[in-house]
Amino acid sequence: MNIKILDSWLRQHIKTKATPEKIAEILSLTSVSVERIEKIDNDFIYDIEVTTNRPDIMSVIGLARETAAALKQSGIDATYIPYLPKGLEKVKSNTKVIIKNDARLVNRICAVVMDVNIKPTPDIITKRIEASGIRSLNNLIDITNYVMLEIGHPTHVFDYDRLLESTLIIRESKKGEKVTTLDNKTHTLLGGDIVADNGKGEIIDLLGIMGTKNSVVTNNTKRILFFIDNNDPVRIRKTSMSLGIRTDAAVINEKNIDPTLAMTSLLAGIELYKESTDGKMLSNIIDIYPNKVKPKIVSVTLKKIQTLLGININLSTVIQILKSLEFEVVSKKNDQLVVSVPSFRTNDVTIEEDICEEVARLYGYHNLPTLLPPLSSIQHYSVEKNSFYWEERIKNILKYWGFTEMYTYSLVSEDLFDGPVENAVKLSNPLTEDMLYLRKTLIPSLLQTVRENKNRESMMIFEIANIYEKTDDKHLPNEIPMLAGIVKKQDVTFFDVKGILEQLFADVGISNIQFKKNKEGIEKIHIHCNNSVIGEVEILEETLINFEINFVKLLSFVNNKKVYTPIGKYPPIIEDIAFIFEKPITVGDVISEIKSQDPLIKEVSLLDAYEHTKTFHIIYQHREKNLTSEDVAPIREKILKAIKETFCAKIKE
Amino acid sequence: MEEQLIDIKNAALSLILDAKDKAELEEIKLQFLGRNGTFTLILKDLPKIPKEKRPAVGQLANSVKITISDAIDRQNLKLKTEKPKQQKDVLDVTMPGHKPPLGHHHLITQAISEITAIFEKIGFTRVKYPEVEWDWYAFEGLNFPKDHPARDDWETFFIKQKPDPKKGPVILTPHTSSGQIREMERVKTPPIRMLNIAKCYRRQSDVSHSPMFHQFEGLVVDKNISITHLKGTLDYFVKSYFGANRKSRIRPYHFQFTEPSFEVDVSCGICLGRGCKLCKAGWLEMGGAGMVHPNVLKFGGINSKEYSGFAFGWGVERVLMMKEGIEIDDLRLLYSNNLDFLEQF
Repeated sequence: MNIKILDSWLRQHIKTKATPEKIAEILSLTSVSVERIEKIDNDFIYDIEVTTNRPDIMSVIGLARETAAALKQSGIDATYIPYLPKGLEKVKSNTKVIIKNDARLVNRICAVVMDVNIKPTPDIITKRIEASGIRSLNNLIDITNYVMLEIGHPTHVFDYDRLLESTLIIRESKKGEKVTTLDNKTHTLLGGDIVADNGKGEIIDLLGIMGTKNSVVTNNTKRILFFIDNNDPVRIRKTSMSLGIRTDAAVINEKNIDPTLAMTSLLAGIELYKESTDGKMLSNIIDIYPNKVKPKIVSVTLKKIQTLLGININLSTVIQILKSLEFEVVSKKNDQLVVSVPSFRTNDVTIEEDICEEVARLYGYHNLPTLLPPLSSIQHYSVEKNSFYWEERIKNILKYWGFTEMYTYSLVSEDLFDGPVENAVKLSNPLTEDMLYLRKTLIPSLLQTVRENKNRESMMIFEIANIYEKTDDKHLPNEIPMLAGIVKKQDVTFFDVKGILEQLFADVGISNIQFKKNKEGIEKIHIHCNNSVIGEVEILEETLINFEINFVKLLSFVNNKKVYTPIGKYPPIIEDIAFIFEKPITVGDVISEIKSQDPLIKEVSLLDAYEHTKTFHIIYQHREKNLTSEDVAPIREKILKAIKETFCAKIKE
Repeated sequence: MEEQLIDIKNAALSLILDAKDKAELEEIKLQFLGRNGTFTLILKDLPKIPKEKRPAVGQLANSVKITISDAIDRQNLKLKTEKPKQQKDVLDVTMPGHKPPLGHHHLITQAISEITAIFEKIGFTRVKYPEVEWDWYAFEGLNFPKDHPARDDWETFFIKQKPDPKKGPVILTPHTSSGQIREMERVKTPPIRMLNIAKCYRRQSDVSHSPMFHQFEGLVVDKNISITHLKGTLDYFVKSYFGANRKSRIRPYHFQFTEPSFEVDVSCGICLGRGCKLCKAGWLEMGGAGMVHPNVLKFGGINSKEYSGFAFGWGVERVLMMKEGIEIDDLRLLYSNNLDFLEQF
């Protein structure tokens, strides 16, 4: 949450010669981030981001206290000037107010009845609250906002004469109750909200969030009930979020405000009503505070502070820093410090690490050394088992063959899910229907990419990403990385894609790959490795072929193993034999049949194919001698006979 | 005279063999055999030769003439049949070359590779943990209170699955910090130096937020790990990734799973820290970091009295776009898969 505070207002509570720029710099480094300083007339506005754990700084006095401590620690003179309430007179004829609290809902209520006159708000108040981004309305309301900004506790003002029999009963709202807030909007409550009841079942305030139309001050208000409620922060957040009322009061109240500030705010407010509305107290101060917050004690050792900071900071510096932040060192024994936490920090500072943080940040993170952590031991590293290594290597291979990598969303629509959604991993709170399911294949997303780039006649794209599979309620879904790609070009053939995959597999050390037609049809071809299907190729249309490979299965076969084979010293004999096949055959089968005829056949490949004629290129080689035509002749005869018989082939002369 | 004829022959032959085109050969022909050519002129002296020598000299002169004209013809033929040699003034080097195919890695992959290389050099081990995760690892075990806004279903994606009695509902990881306890469980006894780079998901979509994005998380747990070590690691990364002239700093901040917590800034690359429109007084926010909260160590099975640690989690997209030259105006462009965009990198 960001707050805006005028420099001149801050300096009412801090005496220092530090410039606004210096204050901003020191605060950013040691406390809260000053995002901007805006110059306005002869003054400056600090725009400060306050983290949710520091509601104590969301006020002028809180910021002044913090600034003074930080400046002093940086060697700049600064004195914090706290707000000191003036003594109050005793009221003799007490005006009647009946407040019935529910301690589960409200921690503390401070209130007073006052006689007031509506008048123009003093300039200084208008200027200050408007610099903080709050519109000036009338002096009765402006004072409540001024006190909230200065002291840090939200406050509220009722028209005393609009209360029924001067009664306020604090209770939980019931589901479906309606309330009209002072901005004239009617809300239906969900139940469990903190409300004030007039004793007749009518809601007259939505506590900690916004006043209601039926009890708020008007231009005719003569008497006010100035009312400060310290509420259960969890209920405040729930009400504020579910009704969508994000007032400054609600945002502060949901952060667990120090109840001590409730009384300080009341006293500061009374003073202002006296000064600028001719206010007179008509009642003594009401203070309902059943469960007082006990001071929090935290122990910490000097050793712990030194370890966390990484320096040998001495005890006196530690104590001096803690004192400047109003922490009290209750006792110290050897290097053990027992520290009492100030009331405005009890929610934030609870363990020894929190004390370490206070010391470290005021000491200045910028004053600590910059060192790399020492490396005492390290896990061994195996390239072969490292999936990141193979992922990067495969991405590189594809890149240098012309593929461009995609990152598509893991979340897809029902349409892109491509299949029955009964077993899909599904979101219960999707942002849009386009992102409802976790995908089970990457292909539809890549096809969408093809469609979105339809001006491209040819493209090669790929992606490596997870797919998701539902298991059962006791387990998380399986996440399986897949490698998928699409080749789009005029007259693309299956062999273009097969060739790419064969070379890819060869490069990562996989040789025993087979492509097998799926029985369902010709368009899907399965990729087999060691008797398991590791992926598939799909022929979609004349210009489009895709492939998808299970990356985990692929990783189980990849290797960097290299085996040295002595290079053949003796020249090979090479010949080409053409067969005419009358019946359908597969080239793969013919090649393995030829190869199986004799160990001297070193290599067989398809040289040429035309209609039924296929020419094979055969290399014979002996490791230890020169082959002669006489050596090869009987092998050739064997080949011819085998192919003729097995495949009903004829030799082409 | 015989010697002069031999010299003429030799001179002519060497010129002919060096001739580069037809015009040059014509020139040579004129020079020797033309009306005022050397050969023609020398023949005019033939009557001065003694009678008995004349037939021999005449024969020689004849053969020289034939040799020269034959050589010219041969060279002419050679120049005609020979492929025209590439000459310097004919080669247009500005014509496009014949390129091997070249694709592109996605910008995110490029950033991840670089980040990984930087951290692996100082001993970090890259890991992979679930993207679909139990609430326990993403929130509860990281010390998030039950009512923390990040656990609202308007910030985090929930999976339709029955919550586990111990580990809570199933969610899509909103940060890589969910890998912290997983890593502690895996390693069991420190030292830990984890680098977790992964997809993350949050329920928001605008120019600076994509519902799917990437983070990189560092976690170091060992004996005597202090804030100084976080500063050292951070400074090493910033100088390695952004350049030696960039500075880093940490400021107080607040997170549930670290204590103390920091916001990490990098000095602005445009104004080099002097302050400009693009930065806050010379600094750019990079992300969060902090000392691991003792509760998180405890939930990870590590004794916080014996060990301490630090962690950081930064956006891959964020650091990518903080690099000079990559000021992308809409983060979601990264996931649009527009080839005109991807082929720029």
